[in-house]
Amino acid sequence: MRSFYAAMRRLLHAVLLGLLGAGIVHIAVLLLVPEFSERDAWSRLSMASDLYRMTRLDAEAGGAPVVKSVDPLFYATACRFDLGEGMVRIKAPGHVPFWSVSVYDRSGHNIYSFNDHTATGGVLDAVVLTPAQMIDVRKDLPEDLQGAIFVEAPIEEGIFVIRAFVPDDSWKPIVSRFFEQSSCELQDF
Amino acid sequence: MLKNAFLTLLSLAIAIVGGGGSVWYALKFQGGVGAIRIGQWTAFPDIGTPSADPYSKARVAREGVLALGRAEGLSFVAERDTGGAELKRECTYTIEGGFPTARFWTLYAADQSLGVVETGKPRLAALQSYGVVRQPDNSVVISAGHHPMPGNWLLTDGFGRMYFVLTFYDTPIASSTGLSDVSLPRIVKVGCDA
Repeated sequence: MRSFYAAMRRLLHAVLLGLLGAGIVHIAVLLLVPEFSERDAWSRLSMASDLYRMTRLDAEAGGAPVVKSVDPLFYATACRFDLGEGMVRIKAPGHVPFWSVSVYDRSGHNIYSFNDHTATGGVLDAVVLTPAQMIDVRKDLPEDLQGAIFVEAPIEEGIFVIRAFVPDDSWKPIVSRFFEQSSCELQDF
Repeated sequence: MLKNAFLTLLSLAIAIVGGGGSVWYALKFQGGVGAIRIGQWTAFPDIGTPSADPYSKARVAREGVLALGRAEGLSFVAERDTGGAELKRECTYTIEGGFPTARFWTLYAADQSLGVVETGKPRLAALQSYGVVRQPDNSVVISAGHHPMPGNWLLTDGFGRMYFVLTFYDTPIASSTGLSDVSLPRIVKVGCDA
């Protein structure tokens, strides 16, 4: 009988130790998921296209949507950039009922956003750069960057997303053209 | 000796399976923390920002979400009607009331993954504020269901659970201070197809 109790106590001890371990594993796994995820937005986009290439996120362009949960009344496009190579300039001529822009870091966190009310004349012209590059640009601002919106982001790799409102079917070609004419390129300086 | 090895293995098994499983369960089935509830509607203003909690961050990484920024808009999701019952795709609902200040809003019927409901017709299961008929007091009454209805009709189709996603664009309520005195429309069940 005594040996039975001893065995039960050791079993209980092992189970409690296991539960304590489960708590530690829970926290460790939770914090490691963002580091090792291969399904985050960056990974999905890198499978779909190259750096500095505008990629449609909505299903309209054919195939399954690259990044899910985009409003069905919106079109969206994204490009990945690497500020380690230099600053990136995003332009989209033309007018649509509403556009908005977000800059995400490598792990998909929204670090800056603005919409067409912020831009000069409602035209999308933005430059994403690091604070160090901003200091260089400030010294001698090129003429053609005068009207641009500068987004200072303390990151290297990131994602730039443009969303545009499609109120009804008649706007689809106009918004599609707005995205086709958009560009995302390394800006020499 | 064999007993010791068995107990060690048992501890390790509980730790690894329990720890891993609980993370998977929390990410898959639990609603997030940091939610703001207004009536039947829930929003996560912090999701996708660097200040989000670890669970939201893990969910963002796992599902590849690119959340709307503060200057873009704020999404609310409803999964129950005012009676407390889960929303069903085979049922008809009336969504009525005033909407908070925003440049415009969109409303769509969504499935489990929050993608828009497939209707099998050219008409999308979505409405937007520039295309709705308003009451004299500027409130809006929307009928959501499979059968055509007068006024504002949100087409839904199919069977199973449904969610309504209401997104306000370019809105002052996206800044957290404005969220306290916002009222959102009510979702009332009208009836269900047998």
